[in-house]
Amino acid sequence: MPSIEATQVHKLVVACDAGMGSSVMLASTVRKQLAATDITVEHTPVNHIPDDADIVLCHAGLADRARRAVPGRVVVPFQLFLGDPAVTRVVEALKSGGTVDG
Amino acid sequence: MADVPLADLLSVDRVVLGGTAGGWEDAVRQVGELLVSSGAVSPDYVDAMVEREKSVSTFVGEGVAIPHGTLAGRDLVTRDALCVMQFPGGVDWHGDEVVLCIGIAARGEGHVPILARLAELLMEPDRAAALRSADTAGEVVALLAPEESPA
Repeated sequence: MPSIEATQVHKLVVACDAGMGSSVMLASTVRKQLAATDITVEHTPVNHIPDDADIVLCHAGLADRARRAVPGRVVVPFQLFLGDPAVTRVVEALKSGGTVDG
Repeated sequence: MADVPLADLLSVDRVVLGGTAGGWEDAVRQVGELLVSSGAVSPDYVDAMVEREKSVSTFVGEGVAIPHGTLAGRDLVTRDALCVMQFPGGVDWHGDEVVLCIGIAARGEGHVPILARLAELLMEPDRAAALRSADTAGEVVALLAPEESPA
């Protein structure tokens, strides 16, 4: 499983199927939570994840597609669009410095 | 394509309160038809919304779902628009209960501030409850309107 140190993370991408709904909501929440960091937060369709994404958050049902789209990158699946513990763990690791596992 | 002004994205005529639906697919189709009748999407978009819902639920928590199309369905959007349908009796949504649907048709990014606002509202249980139980369309629009000052 790929992993990445918080200090090496520059861009976090929230991916969903169309990039027009759920990913938008989660990205806005995460962006606010990471406002004190230098990390850029974007939302994209899962087929258009940019090459420079360091961490990809996506719904569990899309995780395999995301892993195929960006092999070797840290992909963190979640189930809930609000308050998912997996997302909370990533945010905490990025804020306090730590390792994020895909 | 230029982004649509916020006031045009969600207006009181696209807020329907006190609806009933026989299940999630019925609810999604009703929401879709509202977008079709407002001229935002072509009828095939409704099928794209149902397809999307079958692959990954758009339930976001706090009794709210945000049905929208797939990436392929984006071409069926003629104009960015949102709509709201309230189902006070609740609709079974793959095991969760949904009381409020926010339908999304978007080619651009103009609706992003409203969804950001929605995410904030849903983190506050009192305001989420106010949104679910709103009595007037004006109340719904006011709750979802992003605050003027940039974040």
